[in-house]
Amino acid sequence: MPGPDDPVVLIVEDEPDVAETYRLWLEDDYEVRMAQNGDEGLEQLDGGVDVVLLDRMMPGLSGDEVLQHIRDDELECRVAMVTAVEPDFDILEMGFDAYLSKPIKSEQLQDTVQNLLERSAYDSLLQEYYSLVEKQATLEATKNRAELAESAEYNRLKSDIDSLRDELSETLGGIEDDEDFIATIRGLGDSDEP
Amino acid sequence: MYDLTDVLAVDAVSSIPPGSSLLVSAPAMTGKEAFLYDCLADGASDEQGTVVVTTGGDAEDALDRIHSRSSALDPDTLCGIDCRTDSDRENLERDDGSYITRVTTPSDMTGIGIGITNCFERLHDVGVDRGRLGLSNLSTMVTYSDKETVFKFCHVLSSRLDSAEFLGLFLVDSTAHNEQTLQVVKQAFDGLIEIRETEGTREARVKGLQPEPSEWVEL
Repeated sequence: MPGPDDPVVLIVEDEPDVAETYRLWLEDDYEVRMAQNGDEGLEQLDGGVDVVLLDRMMPGLSGDEVLQHIRDDELECRVAMVTAVEPDFDILEMGFDAYLSKPIKSEQLQDTVQNLLERSAYDSLLQEYYSLVEKQATLEATKNRAELAESAEYNRLKSDIDSLRDELSETLGGIEDDEDFIATIRGLGDSDEP
Repeated sequence: MYDLTDVLAVDAVSSIPPGSSLLVSAPAMTGKEAFLYDCLADGASDEQGTVVVTTGGDAEDALDRIHSRSSALDPDTLCGIDCRTDSDRENLERDDGSYITRVTTPSDMTGIGIGITNCFERLHDVGVDRGRLGLSNLSTMVTYSDKETVFKFCHVLSSRLDSAEFLGLFLVDSTAHNEQTLQVVKQAFDGLIEIRETEGTREARVKGLQPEPSEWVEL
């Protein structure tokens, strides 16, 4: 059974049998929430949701509209759109992070959710990396070379930066394909601070 | 390996590992665009692909300037991303065979990313699998967003260039930012090329590719 620290997956799907199948596949590793339509999906969405499986064609609020809300509200969850047919549009333009076309196999679903969680891990590492780099730059701009060489804080910072850089290139194997690349760039603005 | 020594006669740039990204830092009015176009034209005449991202200027003009530098290059392998278009995103092939993709503003990093993806696809279609990407310039992007987002963008793009085994060259106007901002931006790159002008002579040096910085050499 899932523990309290497990990632949360929200399934938004109007066909109960299909939704139930997804839940069975995911419930061992994740906390699963269910919504039968777009409006219910939005109600269930909060900062705790990590991944949304979003059916594109639903009565009422469509998957596209739910996605628009998610992006407008700058929620940090990752979205996999589930489509009945191979999409005939440019998937990179659409604003979701992955897509799955029905029928979905168990392994495919597991892989997609895992990949989306890795992307989120990449985002937080990149954020951490940036804050260390900024600290380093501040020290470099305010202290001279001799002071830096003697500063334990500066030296620790440098080694932390090195190991984070390695960790980043191992997560996602760097940025290997176009989908990862665009989804990661799309995520950049999310944690913007003025 | 990528060789820039025909443009910059420094040993440190004779064999740059594929997937490297370099920051080119220079004050305003020291010809850094010309340096970038020289580097890109040099690659293009060696059958490498070219992707140029212009955040402030006209990408078609940039492609023309690259094309005019060499008669040995195939314009089919030239791609530009124009980030100052009033219309929506669009892609088009120009009369000479070069390729342009348009983005509305330099702050639309997702759009720029999609543009880069389109250009890679285009290059793949014309049979080119390695090449050089130039971005002119990061200072505009910092103005339109902030240094944090630009840093992250550079990091992610460098990582993409790494898996594509491209060489990345990113211009920054060193007089447009404070020291702290420049230090932050530098950290996203594998190496640094500095350009300066003293008494009418343009010089450059390379840092970060070898343990010691190179000497200043005339461009």
